[in-house]
Amino acid sequence: MKRLPWTAIAITALIALLALLAPWLGLPNPVTMDVPNRLAGPTAAHWLGQDEFGRDVLTRLIWGARVSLSVAASAAALACVIGTALGITGGYIRGVAEILTLRAIDVLLCFPPLLLALLVVTLLGPGAATLIPVLALVYLPGFTRVAYAGVLTARSQDYVEAMRVLGAGSPRIMLRTILPNIGGPILVQFSLAMAAAVVLESGLSFLGLGVVPPAPSWGLMIAAARATMAQAPLLLLWPCLALTLTVLVMNALCDGLRDAVDPHPTYRPAHRRVLEAIAPGLLPTPKAVLDLRHLTVEIQTQAGPIRPVRDVSLQVFPGETLAIVGESGSGKSVTSLAITGLLPGAARVAQGAAFLDGTDLLRLPEDSLRTLRGDKIAMVFQDPGSSLNPVHRIGAQIAEAIQAHRPVSDTAARSEAIALLRRVGLPDPESRARAYPHELSGGQRQRVMIAIAIANQPRLLIADEPTTALDVTIQAQVLDLLNDLKTERGLALLFITHALPVVAEIADRVAVMYAGEIVETGPTAAVFLTPHHPYTQALLRSAPDEEGPPPEGIQGVVPSPGALPAGCTFAPRCPRAIAACTAAPPALRASGDARLTRCIRWNEP
Amino acid sequence: MITTENLGKSFPLGGWFARRPLHAVRDVSISVARGETLGLVGESGSGKSTVGRLMLGLMPATTGRVMFEGQDLATTGAAALRTLRRRLQLVFQDPYASLDPRRAIGAQIADALVIHRLMDKAGRIERVADLLEQVGLAPEHAARYPHQFSGGQRQRIGIARALASGPDFLVADEPVSALDVSVQAQVLALLASLRAQLGLAMLFISHDLPVVRHLCDRVAVMYLGRIMEEGPVREVFANPIHPYTRALLSAAPSLHPERRRARLLLQGDPPSPADPPSGCVFRTRCPIAGPDCATTIPPLTGTSHRVACLKA
Repeated sequence: MKRLPWTAIAITALIALLALLAPWLGLPNPVTMDVPNRLAGPTAAHWLGQDEFGRDVLTRLIWGARVSLSVAASAAALACVIGTALGITGGYIRGVAEILTLRAIDVLLCFPPLLLALLVVTLLGPGAATLIPVLALVYLPGFTRVAYAGVLTARSQDYVEAMRVLGAGSPRIMLRTILPNIGGPILVQFSLAMAAAVVLESGLSFLGLGVVPPAPSWGLMIAAARATMAQAPLLLLWPCLALTLTVLVMNALCDGLRDAVDPHPTYRPAHRRVLEAIAPGLLPTPKAVLDLRHLTVEIQTQAGPIRPVRDVSLQVFPGETLAIVGESGSGKSVTSLAITGLLPGAARVAQGAAFLDGTDLLRLPEDSLRTLRGDKIAMVFQDPGSSLNPVHRIGAQIAEAIQAHRPVSDTAARSEAIALLRRVGLPDPESRARAYPHELSGGQRQRVMIAIAIANQPRLLIADEPTTALDVTIQAQVLDLLNDLKTERGLALLFITHALPVVAEIADRVAVMYAGEIVETGPTAAVFLTPHHPYTQALLRSAPDEEGPPPEGIQGVVPSPGALPAGCTFAPRCPRAIAACTAAPPALRASGDARLTRCIRWNEP
Repeated sequence: MITTENLGKSFPLGGWFARRPLHAVRDVSISVARGETLGLVGESGSGKSTVGRLMLGLMPATTGRVMFEGQDLATTGAAALRTLRRRLQLVFQDPYASLDPRRAIGAQIADALVIHRLMDKAGRIERVADLLEQVGLAPEHAARYPHQFSGGQRQRIGIARALASGPDFLVADEPVSALDVSVQAQVLALLASLRAQLGLAMLFISHDLPVVRHLCDRVAVMYLGRIMEEGPVREVFANPIHPYTRALLSAAPSLHPERRRARLLLQGDPPSPADPPSGCVFRTRCPIAGPDCATTIPPLTGTSHRVACLKA
């Protein structure tokens, strides 16, 4: 739970307390007239002056709050209870219940709220007792729709189905499981309705349809003050001020509550640019397409900065596939986002350089980086469904990618798009180019994403879990395609994945990441055959293979980047750890032919 | 213990006027004995999750029936079915979505005990503590909320919840596919030891063949709602007969690519379940399909190792 909006809560409580305690505050009677002193200005006895019948304005304001607020609160509460019940029932049971509740509410929504209120008041007669059901009726649809929308989202969640599996009945599921999970939006809706009801109550009383004189209410006070506006303009000011203050505080309370209920942590945005401080003598390795040096990424959190990626260096050469493999939280995706300049706002590159053919990507202005993305660097992501625009034909999306970087005519771009679709193996490319993304299967959409990625002859292709969402027979096709493209076009392929067998199939070299660092790197075959780092060894033992012994898990969990252990980050889970392991962080050292390992004991028996 | 006979499920598709059925599951006859684990393997859209839901009685079957200890789930009344739920449980795929984020996990594990009025409050607290220990967590974890646990720990909690009412049959719907590989192995080992300890019958739904190879006794391969091949795990993996099983096994990436069987790469994508091919549903991607495959639906034949293929 985050910080509550204490200021707004305090002012709301003060207003409520004043209204509640009005009879005991020692105020004059709000209906006692003092006609000789009518419209008198503020005095010591009457701080805010006297109204057209000489009644004390402060008293009437406080007593008016009592009426206005209690009417608004009861109306909002009534609307909240009935509306939420209707919404949950309609949304959970569906069918006839949905038609009865939701459609009825939709009809109600068609009436302008003021007209609806006027209609009911005319039928039932004015008075505070009528006002409550009237206002409740006006705000009912809001609650129903909010609850209904919440239920539709919640009912498809696994934890709701889990309750059904356990044998729970519908009432139990609605009350115990769904209601608490849609409570946040309903709470906010309640504060909004309450603020709006205060205003509408005043409006109706002003029109003479609400509270009946001489009982005080803010609406009546405004109505009366309007008549004597020329003689005593201040009289109009007080109730309006009270009304404005109440509504503002209510809105502040809504906003604060909404933020407090939202479980997502808030991050302060960081400066995007890298510090210019950089180690001297840093020059790109010749021939490497991508040369990443000492990359460290920092995220500002409320508990201080955390570093999800630390000192990561790697090179990718033309016609080569480098796989970064790691479990969730290893920093593999953050690394790729940093290279492409697509880090989320809260994260920034704290140190390092990323040379693409000699240009440091991390120090390029955003405009230049944007022209590089989709041109020299291309990306393929895990979910092909959300990466394509659903309302454009796929041929047009490929053509657009071409024309964004090269001045070619529409017809040329179109025929190039079809050639690309043919290259990535989409059957019948001429007619499929006119298809929309939803008409394609997951595997076909991923082929389209690859077509877009290679459209401008990129030097570097970053593929972040490109086959994770695909079925195994389709995965095999896509891996073959990526492999062919790499050889045929001399692409440097940076392949990010958590699946070790996929790495074994596709990568020439592999970098194993753990808790934000590279722990081992080298040629894939050698690393998989004789892993040097205990983490790589454990990871390989935990991967099920068709032959061989049953998989073994690794005890413990990956440390969070906010609470890294001292020394070697893997030491707490490592079966070979000794005291020296926790003393100092181990360096990434050469451990054989083209291999590096971050372990002080890799060559000990 | 639990048997399906020619089980079928179709969902209505399209609007009010152009309604046509989508056959998610067709003619599935499988059985799971006490203490046995049947792996149900297939790609997305093959209907494997629907079979799991049907076997738990969570949705009514369109054709055929599910028999649990000789009792037809379809003719069991709603109240009796709710009581039966105690003995039929489900472990979900996504450990993040399957726990209610607003309630302490101890209360969620105890839900089944409350619903079925199995124990008093003190008994429940004790049972929750036992269950937590059984899945490798500490009793004091009961008061914590789901977000305080990692994915693997949440999946353990999901398993504890499913075990609370003492079920006899457990459906595990891709229980490890959302987990990291090092955690996946821990959860698989837990399922294997619980199965041995409690004598559970289990239906293990998965798309991951090596996992099935290690955990299951028998395996059934589904494609577009039908069973293509079914038999003992060792036998099916060593000697796959159906061309789809062969393609599936050869497509799975291996840690040792040099040892992998010759790749039988399937062309194209699976057809839409709404519009399956006539005859054998696999024939459009099958390397050995002949003209008779388009006209005849191949029956699942054999005794212990069954195959649905005319050419096998």
